[in-house]
Amino acid sequence: MFTPVLIMGLCILAPILGALLVLPNIRMLQKAVILVSTVAVTAGSILAYVGGPMQYEPDLGPLLNSHYLVAVLDFLLLFLILYIGFKRKNHLITVLTALQVVFLAVVEFMPGPAAHGNALFADQFSLMMLLIVSVIGSLICLYAVEYMRRHEQHLGLEKSAQGRFFFYMLLFLGVMNGLVLSNNLLWLYFFWEVTTFCSFALIGHDNTEKARANSEKALWMNLLGGLAFVLGLLFVRANDIPLELMTLVREPHGAVLLLPLALFCLAGFTKSAQVPFQNWLTGAMVAPTPVSALLHSSTMVNAGVYFILRLAPAFQDTLFGSYVALFGAFTFIATSTLALSQTNGKKILAYSTIGNLGMIIACAGIDTPAAMSAGILLILFHALSKGLLFMCVGSIEQKIGSRNIEDMRGLFSIMPKTTIITVIGMITMFLPPFGVLLSKWMAIEACSKQPLVVVMLALGSAFTVVFWARWAGLLLSSTFREEERKKEILSRFVSFPLTVLAALSVIMSFLVIGVYTQMVQPIVRMYYSEGIYLTGSGGLFNEIGAFAIYPVFFILVAGLIYAIRAASRIRERSYSAPYMSGIQLKEGEKFGFNGPLGGFVPFAAGNYYLRDYIGEERIGTGINIVGIGIIIILMAGVF
Amino acid sequence: MNFLKSFVTKSRIKSPWLLHFDCGSCNGCDIEVLACLTPIYDVERFGIINVGNPKHADLLLVTGTVNYRNRPVLENIYEQMPHPKIVVSVGSCGNSGGIFRDAYNVIGGIDKVIPVDIYVPGCPPKPEAIIDGVVAGLSALSEKDGRGVPPVADELGKMSASYSERYENFNTGEEK
Amino acid sequence: MFSAGNLFLGIISILLAPFLGGLIAGIDRRLTAWFQGRYGPPILQPFYDVLKLLGKKRMAVNYWQILCAHIYLVSAAMCVFLFAIQSDLLMIFFVLTIGGVFMVMGALSTPSPYSQIGAQRELMQMLTYEPLLVLVFVTIYFVTGSFKISDILNHGEPILLVLPLMYLVLGFALTIKLRKSPFDISTSHHGHQEIVKGVLTEYSGPHLAIVEIAHWYEIVLVLGICALFWATSAVGMAVLLVLTYMGEILIDNLVTRATWRWMLTYVWGVGIGLSFMNIALLYAEYF
Repeated sequence: MFTPVLIMGLCILAPILGALLVLPNIRMLQKAVILVSTVAVTAGSILAYVGGPMQYEPDLGPLLNSHYLVAVLDFLLLFLILYIGFKRKNHLITVLTALQVVFLAVVEFMPGPAAHGNALFADQFSLMMLLIVSVIGSLICLYAVEYMRRHEQHLGLEKSAQGRFFFYMLLFLGVMNGLVLSNNLLWLYFFWEVTTFCSFALIGHDNTEKARANSEKALWMNLLGGLAFVLGLLFVRANDIPLELMTLVREPHGAVLLLPLALFCLAGFTKSAQVPFQNWLTGAMVAPTPVSALLHSSTMVNAGVYFILRLAPAFQDTLFGSYVALFGAFTFIATSTLALSQTNGKKILAYSTIGNLGMIIACAGIDTPAAMSAGILLILFHALSKGLLFMCVGSIEQKIGSRNIEDMRGLFSIMPKTTIITVIGMITMFLPPFGVLLSKWMAIEACSKQPLVVVMLALGSAFTVVFWARWAGLLLSSTFREEERKKEILSRFVSFPLTVLAALSVIMSFLVIGVYTQMVQPIVRMYYSEGIYLTGSGGLFNEIGAFAIYPVFFILVAGLIYAIRAASRIRERSYSAPYMSGIQLKEGEKFGFNGPLGGFVPFAAGNYYLRDYIGEERIGTGINIVGIGIIIILMAGVF
Repeated sequence: MNFLKSFVTKSRIKSPWLLHFDCGSCNGCDIEVLACLTPIYDVERFGIINVGNPKHADLLLVTGTVNYRNRPVLENIYEQMPHPKIVVSVGSCGNSGGIFRDAYNVIGGIDKVIPVDIYVPGCPPKPEAIIDGVVAGLSALSEKDGRGVPPVADELGKMSASYSERYENFNTGEEK
Repeated sequence: MFSAGNLFLGIISILLAPFLGGLIAGIDRRLTAWFQGRYGPPILQPFYDVLKLLGKKRMAVNYWQILCAHIYLVSAAMCVFLFAIQSDLLMIFFVLTIGGVFMVMGALSTPSPYSQIGAQRELMQMLTYEPLLVLVFVTIYFVTGSFKISDILNHGEPILLVLPLMYLVLGFALTIKLRKSPFDISTSHHGHQEIVKGVLTEYSGPHLAIVEIAHWYEIVLVLGICALFWATSAVGMAVLLVLTYMGEILIDNLVTRATWRWMLTYVWGVGIGLSFMNIALLYAEYF
C-alpha cells in the first residue's frame, strides 16, 4: 500500500530537495521548507514503520542506472574533498582522499558477483533507525530554527549563514535515512562519506580558527574510517562475495571474511569516535548545538555502531568478537572516567555519548541474543535522551552565556521549565526504569561471562552515576525564599521539541516491551534460537535474569506522586535557612555567612573533578595508547 | 489517634537530642557537659545524643553569657531548631551573667535573648546537676505542642522562667 | 516471580522491614556501648527517635530536598519488596541507586557547605561500592548460572563455600552502606560528626525520620544479600548474619574514619583484586 517509492521519496529525496530550497536565505520560505521537509520525513518514516519490512531496487528508467549514478556522485564527492584538502593545505586529508579514490576505482572496476538482493532494504532494525533519524532529526531541525536565529543575533552577523546551515542539516537527514536503508555496500559507503562531509561542513560552520581546525580533524579521522571501509570493500570483492550487507551477514563465508569485517569495524570505530579517535567528537562541540544534538549524539555517530551491530552476527563464535567487546568496554570506561573530570557541559555529554556507543560496540562483540537486544535498544534510548540533553544545554548556554556546569548552579530559579526538562533527560539516562538503564542491565548480564568486560562496564557505569547525579543536583539548587521566580519565556520552536522529546523518552521507556517485541525480537530471532528475552510477568526475562518493567514503573510513578504531594505540603512559613553555624546571612539574592571582620562571604561550592588523577591531560595519552593497542591486537587476531 | 499522640509524647521524653552551644563560656561548664557523655555518667542510656546542628536538636544546652557578638548567633540557632524545643541554661554565666555580669560587652543571662526553660545553677555545675536539669526539662518538652505553641499554663515554665526575677543576688541566694 | 505467595511475602516485608531494621539499629547501639564499657540506650531507642522526629514541626530549606527524601524512601522500600519477591539481583541493585542518587541530589540542592561536601563524599562512596556490588552479583551468576534470587535459593549448596572472597568484597559494600567506620565519610551515626551531619545536615524533623526509615530498609536489604550466601539452612543464615554484623560493629569501634581518597583506592584495589582471585579460583575448580 505504501509503496517503497513513496517511502524512499519522503525519507531520502524530500529532505534533499528541501536542502536545496533553503540554500537561498529567504526567511519565510526557509521556515516553511524546513517545516514541510521535517513533516515529510517524519511521515515517511512512520509510513515505513507501519508498512513493515520491505526491499526495493530503485528504477530510474531505461536511461539512468542508479548504481552508476551513485558511483559518479561518490567520485564527485571524493574529488570535492580532495579539493578542500588542497585548499586547506591539509596533507592528511589529501592523502587519505586520494587513496580512497584509487581504491574505490579498483573496487568499481573489478568484476564481481551479482547482488543477491535489492539495493535498498529495510527490516525492523532499519525501520527503527529510520524513525529515530526522522523524528529526532525533525525535532532538532525545528529547535535549530530558533537557536540559529539567536546564535546569529549573538554573533552579530550581517549576512545570515542559515541557508548553508540548514542545507547541510536537511541534506544530512536525507542521507542518513539512505544509509540505514542501504543494503548495497557501495551505496552505504557513499551515504557514509556524505555524512562525513556534512559533519565537516557543520562543525566548521562558524568559520572561526578553532572551528576550521576541529572540522579538519573530524574530516581526516572520518576519512581514515572511509579508507578502511573501501579497503574492506576491496577484500570482499576480491573474495568473490557480493557487496551486500545482508549477504555478508546471513550467508556463511568463513574466516576469509574476518579481515574485511575488521576493516569495517575500524570504519565504525572512527565514525563513532571511539578511543583513540574521540578527539574529533569532543572537538566538534565547537559547532552550534543543534549540530551536536543531531550529528554527534543521536544520528551520525549511530551510523558507526549501527553498521557494527549489523555485522555482529558475522563474527559469532570468533575470538575477534571478544576483542571487539573488549575494545567497546574499554572505550566506555575510559570516556566515563574522562567525563568525570570535565566542567564543560557539552564535553560531558560528548564523552557520555562516546561511552554509550562503546557499550553498544561491546554488546556487538558479545555473541548472545541478550547482547544484541541490549545494543539495539541502547541505540534507540540513548538517541532520545542525548538529543534532548544537547538541546537543553544549548538553550541553557544561550541564556546564561556559559557551558560550564558550575555556572549552572541554581539554574532552577532562572529557567525552571528548562531545568525540569533537563533533569528529566538526565534521569532517563541513568536510572531505572528507563530505557538506557534497561539496556545497560541487559548489557551487563549479557557480558557477564567475560570478567574483564564486565569489570570495565561496572566501573564505567559507576562513574556515569557520579557525573549525572551531581549535575542534576546542582541544577536544582535553590531555597524557598528566592525572589519572584523569573518567568521563563520559551519560543514554541524550542519548547515543542524539548517537551516532545522528554515525553518520548519517558513514554518509550514505558512502552519498551512493545518496542522490543515489534522491533528487536524479530531481528534477534533471525540469528539466535535460544536465550532470547521473552516477555512475561510484566517485563523481560530469560534464563539468567528478569527485569519487571511494568511493576517497577507503576510503583515508581506512584512513589513520585506521593513524594510530590508530600513535598508540596510544605509552605513557605516552614522555611529555614541552611545551617552555617548560626552565622548565615543573605545579601540580595546571594546566600553567604558573616565572615571575618563582619564582611559578607558569599556561598560557593564546587564538585570534585579529580583533575589531577583523571584529567584529560593526565590520562588522555595513556587511553589513546591502550586503544590503539587493542585495535592492533584486533587486527592481528584476524590473521 | 490519641494512642499515637501518647506514643509521640513518650518518645519525646525518651529521645532528647541536645545541641550544646558555648556562648562565650570559660569552658568549665562545657567540660562538665562533655563529661556527661563519658561512660561514667553515660547519658546516652537516656537516649540523649549530642547532635551537631540545631535542625536535629530538641534541647539547646547553652553555657556562657550572651554578648553583643554572639546574640544573633544564639537567636539564629534557636530559630533553626524545629518545635518542640526547650532551652537549658547551664552554669551561672548562662543563668544571669555570672561574674561577668557587669562587663561592657556582656548582655547578661541567656534568658535576655531566648526563652529559657531550665536553669542549672553552679560554676560549674556538677554533671549530676546537669543531668538533673535535662531530665527535668524533658517533662516540659513532652508538654509542648509539636506546632510550637507552648501551653498557656505551664507550671514548670512559670517556675523556672522567673528564676532570675526571684533572686536579687544570685551568688548569695538573696531573694527579692 | 509474581505468584500470590511471593506478592504476599513482598507486602509483609515492606511492612516489617522498618521494624527489623530499627531493632538491628538498636541492638547495634547497645553492643557498641558494651564495647565501650557503657550501658547504652534501650533496644527500642531508634523507634523512639523516629517517632519523636515525626512529631516535630516541618522545616525545610527547599522543595527538592523533601521530594528527594521521599523518593529515597520509596526506592529503598521497593528494593526490599523486589528482594522479597525473589526478582533479579542486578535490577534490585539499579533500583537501589535511585535512592542514593536522589539523596545526593537532595543534598546538592541546598546551599549549605556541609551538605555540599557531604554530597560529594556520598558520590565518592557510591562510586566505591557500586562496581563491587555488581562484581559480587556477577560471581554469584558464575556459580548459580542466574541473577535471579529464586535460582540462588534453589542452588544446592551454600555459595559462601565457593565465593568466600566475594563475601569479603560484599563486606566492604556492607560497611559503606551501614555508614560505619572507616567508611562513614559522608554521614555517620549520631554523635560521630565530622562535617556536622554531611548529607543529612539540612534535614530535620519528619524528613529526617523518613531518611532514617529508608536507611533501615537499606540495612535489611544489604543484610538480605549477605544472607543469600548461606541460603540452605536458616540456622546457618542466622549465624552468618550475626557474625557479620558483630564483625562490622567491631571494626567500627576499632577503626577511625578514612579519607575518601584512601577509601576509593584501597577498596577498589582490594575489592577488584579479591574478585579476580575468586574468579580464578572458580575457573580452577570448574575446569
